[in-house]
Amino acid sequence: MALLGAGARRDMEIRRYPILAYALVPLAALVLQAWLPRVAGRYAWFDLPLVVTVYFALGRRSPIQGTLMGAAMGLFEDALTHHAIGVNGIAKTAVGFLAASVGIRIDVENHTIRLLLSFLLSLLSSVIVVFVSHFLLGLDLEWNWYTMLYTAIVNAVIALFLFPLLDRLQVRE
Amino acid sequence: MESFLVRYRNLLVLLSILLAQIIGLATQVHRTGEGRNTLDAGDLPSVRLIRLWANALVSPPEQMIHSTKMGAGWLWQNYIDLRNVRQQNGDLQKTIDRLRLEQAALLEDARQGERLQGLLKFQEKYIYKTVAAQAIGSSGSEQSRVVYIDKGSADGLARDMAVITPEGIVGKVRDVFPHTAQVLAIDDQTSGAGVILETTRIRGILRGNANGQPQIVDILADKRIQKGESVLTAGGDDIFPRGLAVGVVDQVVPDPDRDGFINITVTPAAHLDRLDEVLIITSTEPRFSEQQQQDIATSETEKKQEAAALAEQRKASEIMAERLPGLIDPNLPHDEQPLYDSSNPIQVARPPQALHPDRFTPGAVAAAAGAFSGDDSSVEKQKTTPEADSAPGADSATPPPAKPQPRPASPVKPAGTAAESKPNRSTGVESQPPAPPQDQPRRNP
Repeated sequence: MALLGAGARRDMEIRRYPILAYALVPLAALVLQAWLPRVAGRYAWFDLPLVVTVYFALGRRSPIQGTLMGAAMGLFEDALTHHAIGVNGIAKTAVGFLAASVGIRIDVENHTIRLLLSFLLSLLSSVIVVFVSHFLLGLDLEWNWYTMLYTAIVNAVIALFLFPLLDRLQVRE
Repeated sequence: MESFLVRYRNLLVLLSILLAQIIGLATQVHRTGEGRNTLDAGDLPSVRLIRLWANALVSPPEQMIHSTKMGAGWLWQNYIDLRNVRQQNGDLQKTIDRLRLEQAALLEDARQGERLQGLLKFQEKYIYKTVAAQAIGSSGSEQSRVVYIDKGSADGLARDMAVITPEGIVGKVRDVFPHTAQVLAIDDQTSGAGVILETTRIRGILRGNANGQPQIVDILADKRIQKGESVLTAGGDDIFPRGLAVGVVDQVVPDPDRDGFINITVTPAAHLDRLDEVLIITSTEPRFSEQQQQDIATSETEKKQEAAALAEQRKASEIMAERLPGLIDPNLPHDEQPLYDSSNPIQVARPPQALHPDRFTPGAVAAAAGAFSGDDSSVEKQKTTPEADSAPGADSATPPPAKPQPRPASPVKPAGTAAESKPNRSTGVESQPPAPPQDQPRRNP
């Protein structure tokens, strides 16, 4: 894992995308996340907004942008559920911040690192959701650790294929 | 100070956003009297606004995707996959005719049931008005099992309306937007529906578990509960009408938290994972819908038409019978009916004569004297009749086949001879009537 100085890597490899990509890709992720479970049934173990959040946070290498994007995606996800708004928001805010912070320091072009990061951040997001719901808010919420694990694995696999596709959207200078 | 803000701006932004969200969460949760935290049943205005925005952003693309999918399916079903449709159409039309008549009868029963309920001052909720909707999306979260449908308040939907499919119940309307609505499925952990086991009549509350399966909770252990037993709605929750299918018992497991209690996992009757079309019950008033009233009227009209057609046929046959030469004249005695006239082209069929008559040959056995028990006078007359006296026994030689005999002209016979004129059922031999007067016309049988 190649470690660089934070400032050097950020200045060297900040990725830029068209404005439309910032709007349409998260929207597409939200729409597909809402629509695909109808096709996949009970095996919809994926979180596309999380994958997109991780991608943009890693690519932009800006913790503030990652935080904001994670918060927006999480809040929109919460708004589509019947749960309290903010649970996923907190989880994805933390994930966006961490992904951007890590992206400053490591080489995120490597597929193994992408796979591992997506897996770990997905698991972290699920843990934060459970922590906030069950311990912070004290709600009666049952959860299944296996489902979280499957979701993290599927998210990592999706990231492995989706990140190269999204890389094509970036603006080359 | 400025350098501090610049240096830690990332962390400060993160903390401020997290803090804002935590405060927002705190406003949405309240503590119940039992000391448990729960979400507010109704959203705060600000929360509802966020949900409305999210819905407005996500629903149009979802509807577009759904419309595209439906359009492709429609194209396939209505233009490409149209084999044997004419035959199916004919069969279905016959089925509809039959079902319409059956439905009319059932609705009459329902009417009677309503009247009886009115007499008993007991009101049962019937489904009389539904709105069909398409499922266009979901929450996308494992922890929140909600479905979005493409009908909203503009279509008459409101909170807490029951959502069903022909297979079984789906859930209830939780939130309504102008053109979409959010349906909370029965496999969500926060849902609740009153249910009853069909055979054992045990009642319970249905809600989802962590694995996304509906289960009946808070039930005392009972060995009578078996896998495969049907689960129906109990009707006590003011949402689902009574008697709708919920599913079947899949598993009976002990409640891990309480001894003596069990949880019953239910396989839902509706395909909750792949919902397509659903029905929202918008009215459960005990009255007939316009469509049902139309069906009743149609069925009654058809019945009247059938009755009229039958009456017409009967009348035509009577007219035809009057115009045709009659074979039976009510004014003539039985033996002189035109039916037995030799000029009548329609002859009464008679059995052919046996080549080798035996005791089983019709007419071979004489009437048994004892066959007329219960009428002593007739028995006496039988005994005094010369033919009866001379009749051979069962083992005697077979007499020649009975030949047509002249019949008395008068249809009125003495009461004592009525039995004599009838064929003896036990032997098949007809008793000989008295000889007719010579001036009476003779007819061939």
